This record gives sequence, structure tokens and C-alpha cells, in this order.
Amino acid sequence: MSIQFKTIKELSSMLRSKEISNHELTKETFNLIESYKHLNAFITLNKERALIKASELDKNSSELSLSGIPIAQKDLFVTKDLRTTCGSNMLSNFIPPYSATVIENLEAAGCISIGKTNMDEFAMGSSNETSFYGNVLNPWGQNLVPGGSSGGSAAAVAAGIVSAATGTDTGGSIRQPASLCGITGIKPTYGRISRWGMVAFASSLDQAGPMARTAEDCAILMNEMCSHDPKDTTSLDEDVPDFTKGIDAPIKGLKIGIVKEFDLSKLDSNVVKVFEDSKKHYESLGVEFVEVSLPNINLSVPTYYVVAPAECSSNLSRFDGVRYGNRCDDPKDLEDLYIRSRSEGFGDEVKRRILIGSYVLSAGFYDAYYKKAQQVRRLIKNDFDNAFEKVDLIMSPTTRGAAFEAGSMSDPIEMYLEDLFTVPANLAGLPGISIPNGHVDNKPLGLQLIANSLQESLLFNVAHNFQMTTDWHLKTPSLEAK
Amino acid sequence: MTWETVIGLEVHVQLSTKTKLFSGASTSFGSEPNTQVDLIDLGLPGVLPVANKEAFYKAIRFGLATNAEINQVSMFDRKNYFYPDLPKGYQITQMEKPIVGKGSIVINVDGSEKLINITRAHLEEDAGKSIHDLFDGETGIDLNRAGTPLLEIVSEPEISNAKEAVAYFKAIHQLVTFLDICDGNMSQGSMRCDVNVSVKKVDDAILGTRAEIKNINSFKFIERAIHFEVARQIKLLEKGESIVQETRLYDSVKNETRSMRSKEAANDYRYFPEPDLLPVVISDNELEEIKSTLPELPKQKEIRFVNEHNLEESEAKILASSKAMANLFEDASEKTKDSSLIAKWLVGDVSALLNKDNISIEESKLSSINFAKLIERISDNTISGKIAKSVLEEVWISGNDIDAIIEEKGLVQIQDESVLEDIAKKIIDANPDQVNAYKGGKDRLFGFFVGQVMKETQGKANPQGVNKILKKLLNS
Amino acid sequence: MDKETVTTISNLSRLAFDKENEEKITKDLENIIKFVDQLDSVDTSNIEPLTSPLEKTAKTRADEVTSKNRKEKFLKNAPNANEDYFLVPRVVE
Repeated sequence: MSIQFKTIKELSSMLRSKEISNHELTKETFNLIESYKHLNAFITLNKERALIKASELDKNSSELSLSGIPIAQKDLFVTKDLRTTCGSNMLSNFIPPYSATVIENLEAAGCISIGKTNMDEFAMGSSNETSFYGNVLNPWGQNLVPGGSSGGSAAAVAAGIVSAATGTDTGGSIRQPASLCGITGIKPTYGRISRWGMVAFASSLDQAGPMARTAEDCAILMNEMCSHDPKDTTSLDEDVPDFTKGIDAPIKGLKIGIVKEFDLSKLDSNVVKVFEDSKKHYESLGVEFVEVSLPNINLSVPTYYVVAPAECSSNLSRFDGVRYGNRCDDPKDLEDLYIRSRSEGFGDEVKRRILIGSYVLSAGFYDAYYKKAQQVRRLIKNDFDNAFEKVDLIMSPTTRGAAFEAGSMSDPIEMYLEDLFTVPANLAGLPGISIPNGHVDNKPLGLQLIANSLQESLLFNVAHNFQMTTDWHLKTPSLEAK
Repeated sequence: MTWETVIGLEVHVQLSTKTKLFSGASTSFGSEPNTQVDLIDLGLPGVLPVANKEAFYKAIRFGLATNAEINQVSMFDRKNYFYPDLPKGYQITQMEKPIVGKGSIVINVDGSEKLINITRAHLEEDAGKSIHDLFDGETGIDLNRAGTPLLEIVSEPEISNAKEAVAYFKAIHQLVTFLDICDGNMSQGSMRCDVNVSVKKVDDAILGTRAEIKNINSFKFIERAIHFEVARQIKLLEKGESIVQETRLYDSVKNETRSMRSKEAANDYRYFPEPDLLPVVISDNELEEIKSTLPELPKQKEIRFVNEHNLEESEAKILASSKAMANLFEDASEKTKDSSLIAKWLVGDVSALLNKDNISIEESKLSSINFAKLIERISDNTISGKIAKSVLEEVWISGNDIDAIIEEKGLVQIQDESVLEDIAKKIIDANPDQVNAYKGGKDRLFGFFVGQVMKETQGKANPQGVNKILKKLLNS
Repeated sequence: MDKETVTTISNLSRLAFDKENEEKITKDLENIIKFVDQLDSVDTSNIEPLTSPLEKTAKTRADEVTSKNRKEKFLKNAPNANEDYFLVPRVVE
């Protein structure tokens, strides 16, 4: 029987009823990976260990919430004794001596890590084209990008290879690929999920999150991924609620804000129509829409492209060819070692961002760029605070349009604007979810909902209501196995 | 032309915490290379720092002892630069909001006091060690020290010469050891300093261009480096040349400073707030708690020694000058009540030996138990002062137990008056001429007889007993 | 943004570019900086920078040794090391 396109909930019940064994499920997952190898969704597989764990679960069944569920892990999370590349040549041979807290949490809940998914190099990119390991294909169409940076995770879920994958989101890296691949993904409140073992791109923006077929599956995953971790002092010391609780409660009377400053008239009219249809659908569920003003929100992308590169330029300094990672051949002296190891190890986009970061932090420019951006960031956060006094959620399209063709976006700034709707939530540390809400030219689109801090349960509730009454999340691409 | 020297010191004090500033790896000295390294110290991808509260407490002790402002909310920043023993490519330090703000310390130069203002003291992580001379063509990196907490104490440029600089460094050394926040061990690098030196014409209002001499770790080298650097700068200026603002290295073998331009290569540290660490807050309660556990400081000790033990001020000053010295004094005072005898030995013979070897008490083999025993044996007349001197010298070298030395070498003082009288009689009988001369009025010859008795007994005779018996015999 | 600036920040970042790439990167950086210059349009006087979305204070740790010696494993991951040290080309001071 096919396991393709099944949800966590469905797979769990198949396992429980012994319709399928753990070993069969894991084995079949690897078969699917093989069948859809051309998508290039994975960088490294964990086949041997995954099958052993599955067999063990067959011998000693467990009641754990994710028992036996194969999960694809974004290659930005370090995995003990399993190669972790971050999509970079820099780490093509890096075998971490420890595992990320998220990985440990998920595995402790019984899930089986089947491999590491392809991604934009060090999570810098919105199309998966910056990976050293090649582009990932969007299951929805020839030569379409899956979005990024969690492109491999999104493609693996969209192709129905796995029911769930982990992602990370610094400026939209979960929500944008979820949108472009027609799946559900959430970036939780900053600090909900430990960053220990998640290779840092921009420390004050990075946040891990789940990617799955449904909001309910995302909630199940979140229950296990969240924890207060003493190893990450920026992880929140808050009780983790059961995110599935009350997920199907009615949403009548809820107030959702539409951002006045987001000028949708610049978008393709079909994209706008999909968004308007979703609005109407929510209205039919009893939601009231209110226009809210976030005066500084259109400065989010420029703010982001100061803050993120600044932090990244510093975070990526540790890749120096001394203790791990790529070292150039025959360095003639220390400087040569640094420069060649790094120049060979990093791709163009990473280099661009490191340079921008060095520039905005350098003497004489710090105030004008870095400090200024962090000030604007506060204004943006204040805008959200004000808006959430009037509304429960804020809604927008996740992206400006559907998936585009690989190689079609060569201007870095055009690519940066891909994050227009997603970046603000990262700057303010707020949770945001993207759910499939329509198609344009047979390509999926996503709807983004942003909530106030720690209000993930509300996001799941509102997203689940949509998914109970629409079937966009059930659509699957017509895929040919190769 | 009269030149004026302006000096500021940045003293790096290794705080004596058990673990590193941001990881749970041990900080103990002298382990095998790279054995005290955590994932965090290695700067592996994905790791995050967690601040060690004890380092803050130790920094605050310093702040309180220097009457400094304590910033109850302090923050970390990143200082970005590449160096092989700096694993992350940045050092976590405190730039904008250091834990300790403005304070001051009193230094003592040739008997007069001067107040030096302290700009700030901040926490930062130490780098690892680069070993340059062990491998052919390669430098070895040992990260055991990487992440060890440092308190960097920055003085105002108020130090006027090498002597004051040394006195300032000594005052900091004294204070941090008293406060028990640093082991003070200079040879292990527990205290190092960077010296900023500039010279200007006496009448000039603005400071001259300064050179920074990096990483000096001895009192002697501070003095020599400053002397050399001042002379170098004056010579240049008198030739009409200008001083380059740069980092220099002191070479103790050649006794010169030289430019480290290689390291300078357009350094722009690109400081920015460390996003992995939130502000650290010290509560009022914590602050009160630290205040209440502050130990007695040198000046307070000095006053108490004068009052409680009737010591001379000059003696008290020397005894309170280091924690180890003060401990020797106080431990011995508990055993024998003769404080002035103890003080005499510490200020005299013990200090002389320290100076001779140029070491501190901690580095010597003299334990406080052994020293107390030495004083006890003098005051219970087991050994004479003269013998005690040689016993001290013996302990200094071997570190052996005092009683064992006395016993082994048969140094117990001869107190038995009948034994002393026999010896005295023998001496008198053997020197009839001197006896006659003495009796004829040459009083000074009394010392001759004492000396002969001492010689006969190899110094072991009780001097008071000898005096008494000789007087009796010669004056009869 | 000119070539000289690009050279300076490339040096700071320990990155090098060949001639062709250097021109492209200079142009890219110029455009990106122009793009972020939009921030100039906002008045941010008296606005406290927001460096972390978590406006909370740090949790700290007790001073207890929690890590063990993992020298062998660490040195094994290194591109060049002997049994005790990470090795780099000789640094002259």
C-alpha cells in the first residue's frame, strides 16, 4: 500500500493498527527517496541507522507521539556522527560530534531521521539555487524552484516522500518554500525552539519550525520540538502547551488585520484573487477583517538586509579552515590559509552577505547602517504591538507570487524582495504560518497568518479551520518517478 | 626640552572560576593540550554560549573594592578578528555596558600615595595559546585556555612613569589576590597587561600619539619596556619625527619593543551586541550578598595590625602587602603571641629571601605551618635566632619540616647551664691573656668569649645563658 | 561603494575575488547598499535599537565542570592536527 502523501496522523494510525510495520514504513520512505532522486531534495541519507531504529520499534513498540514516523531533517541542524553540510562546500566533510536539541527532541519522541535535506547554502537564499549540492526541483513543475532556504524539506514533503520535515526560518525560509510547494509550515515565536545545534545564520532572527502537509501535523511536531533548553539562553522559559488542543474550535468573531501598507495591486491579479478568495472564505467562517496600519513595515526588507548580513558575517567567521571544515591545499602562510579556505568554501551569495555584514559593522558605518537598522527594527516591532491591540492576527499572501523558474531571478535585490511578506515576523520575533490557499497556473500559493508572541495555538486553530473547510492542502503534484 | 610621560594600563586578570566564561570546561592550568575544551570553546557550528554567574560575582568584588559603579545590567558584545587561537573568529567581550564602571585604586610609590582612576573593568573570554616553537614550519593551537574568564581593568592615562606603572600593577595584583578572584600567578599568565605609552612636552595640553605594548606578564618587564619605549619615543620626537600609533611587542631577551605591524593589518573589530547572549542582570540581593562577603582589604588589614598587634606602621604595611604574607603573620600569631618577633622575621629575613629570589610567598616553599613552627621554636628557646636563620634558609630550599631539620642536624639549643658552664670554663682556661686584659678593663673582650662559646657549640648555645654564665665566671 | 572599500572589507572578511568577480560583486554591493539606504528616510532619534526580539534577561549557569575531555574526537575533525594540537602554517610574531 502506498504511504506517499500521507500525514503524520494517518501514518501513526497505520502503524498502530499494524497495517504497516515501522521497518516497512521506513524502507518504503527510502524507496520514495530513490524514486524521486531527481528532485535532489536530500544531501545525505541516514539509511542504515534509520532502518535499525525502525526494526527496534517493531520489536519494542512505543506509545511516543511520533513513534516510527520518518522525518527529513534540514541539513542546517547538526546530527551526531551524520554528515552536516549546511548546503556548503565548506562543510562537505563535517561529521558533528553532537546533535541539535531539536533533533534530540524529535528522536526522543520516536521519530526516525531519514536524512538531511538540501538547502540554500547556510540558509542564505530563497530558491535553493545557492546550495553547493545543486538545485532542488519543485515537485509542482519542471524547472521550478522550491523556494528556500528550506527547499529540500519543502520538496520532500510536497512530493509525499515524508509526512514531515524540519526547517529553519530567518527571513521566510520555512514559509516561502512551504508556499511555493503547497505545504504547511510555521515559524514559531523566536525562542520557542532551541537554537542549540542549529548552525547560525543570523542569531537574532533564526528560528526552527516544522513543515508538513497540514497545520494539525505541524502542531503535533511543535509539541515535541519546543523546549526550554538551558544550552540556549535565548530559548523561552515558557510552558509548552499542547498545540493540538482546541485546534478545531470555531473561529467565529475573530478579528484579522489586513496590512494597509502592503500594496497588493503590484501583484499579479490572479495572485490577488487567490488571496481575496481566502478572505471571503474566512468571512464565511465568521472572521471579521480590519485594516491595520504598520507604517514602517515596508522597511522590513532593507532592515533585514542589514541585520542578517551583520550577524552572518560574524557567525561565519568560525569557518576558517583551522579546526574543522574546508582547508585549502598547501597554504603558504596563515593568511593564505584563511583566504583560500574561505573563498573556496563559500558560494557567491554567502560571500555577498558576509561582505555586506562586514561593511555595515565597520568603523564609520555602524551607526548609519547597523544601529539604524536595529532602530527601525524596534519601530517595526512597535507597529506590530499597536496592530495587535486591534486585531488577533495579521494576514497576507506568503509570497508575491508562485514558484518561478530556476535561473530566472539573477538580481540579488529582486530575490531579496521574495521575503517581503515574511521578513517582518522574523524582525519582531513573531510566529507566522503559511498554508496552501490556491493555485495559479497549476502552481500552489500560500496564505500567511502572523500572531502575537506565543500565540501559535491560535495560528494552528485558524489554519486548521481553513483546512477543515478547503482542500488546497490535499492537492498533490503529478509526479513521475525517475 | 622636558618631556612628560603619560601611561595607561589595561590589566587582564584571569578570574579563578572553576569553569570557563561560557562553557562548563575546566580552567585548571597545566593540563595536556586541548583536553579542557568544550564544544563551545571549539566554536563548533551550532553551539551557543551560556554565561558563568560566578565570573560576574568575582568582577563585582573587584568593582566594590575599587569603589566603582556596578552596572547591574551588563551586556556582551562581539569583537571580530581572525586569529588561529580565537576559535569563533570573534571574542565575546563587554564594550558598551561593562559590569564595572568608573572606580579608583591607591598606589604607593616610594612611600607616598597616589590615586589612579580606573575607567572600567569588563568581562571577556581569553583566547587559546599558539605554540610557535615546537613544530617545524607549523604553529600548534592549544585551546585549553580559550574561554577562560578575564577581567580587563582599564586605567585612566594617569600614570606618569615606569615606577608608578609597576606600583599600579602591584596594587591590582595585591587586590585581586586579597579578593580571591585571581590566583595572581604571573608566571602562568594569570595576570598580563597592555601598556599604553605616550610622551608630550610638559606644556602641551594634548596627549602625544601612543604606542601600545602588548601582553607583558612581569613587574620587571613592565618597568623595562616602559623605559625603553619612552626613550625611543623621545629620541624620535627630538629628531623631529613622529610617533606611529601601533601595537608593539616587548622582547625581554633583547630588552626592546618592536612593532607588530603584521598583526595590525587594518584591524577594524566591528563590535556589535552579542545576539546569543541577553543582558545579564545582577539583583540588589545578589549585590548585597557579595558586599557582605568581601574580605578585609590591605589597607584595613594594615590598620588592624597596628592596633591589635602594636606593630610599626611600616611593618604593618609590608605584612598587609600580600594575602600570603598576611596569612603567615596571622597564622603564626595564633600559635605564639609574640607578634613583634613574627613581624621582625617576616619583614626581615623572609622578605630578604623573597627579594633575592624575586618571587612571591605563594611561589616559595615556605608554608604557613612551617613558618609558625619556626617562630615557635625560637620563642620556646629550642633554637637560637642565629640557628633559626640557617633553618629558614634550609626550609627555603627544601621545604622540609622545621622540627625534622632541627632534629636531623642536631640544632637544638643548649640550655643546660651546667653544660654551658663547663664549656665556658674551658674557654676561660684556654685564654688566660684575654682574661687578664678583660679584667684589666677591656670590656669589649666580653664579646670574644661569647663568640668562642658559640663557636665551640656550633652556635647552639642559648645566648642569654652564655651571657649570664660568662658574666658570673669572669666577674668573680 | 568603490573597489577600495570592497578590497578593505574583503580583507576583513578573509575573502578573495578574481578580477571578473570583483567587478560583479562591487556592483552587487553597490546596489544592495543603495537599497538599504532607504532606511535613511525614517527618523529614529531617541529610538533604542532592538538587538534581540526577546526583551528578556539572560539565564546564567553555575560554576560547575560539566564537560569532559574529547580531544581525540575534536582533533580527528581537524584538517591538520597532530596528537595534541591543531596545526596551522607557522605564525611569525
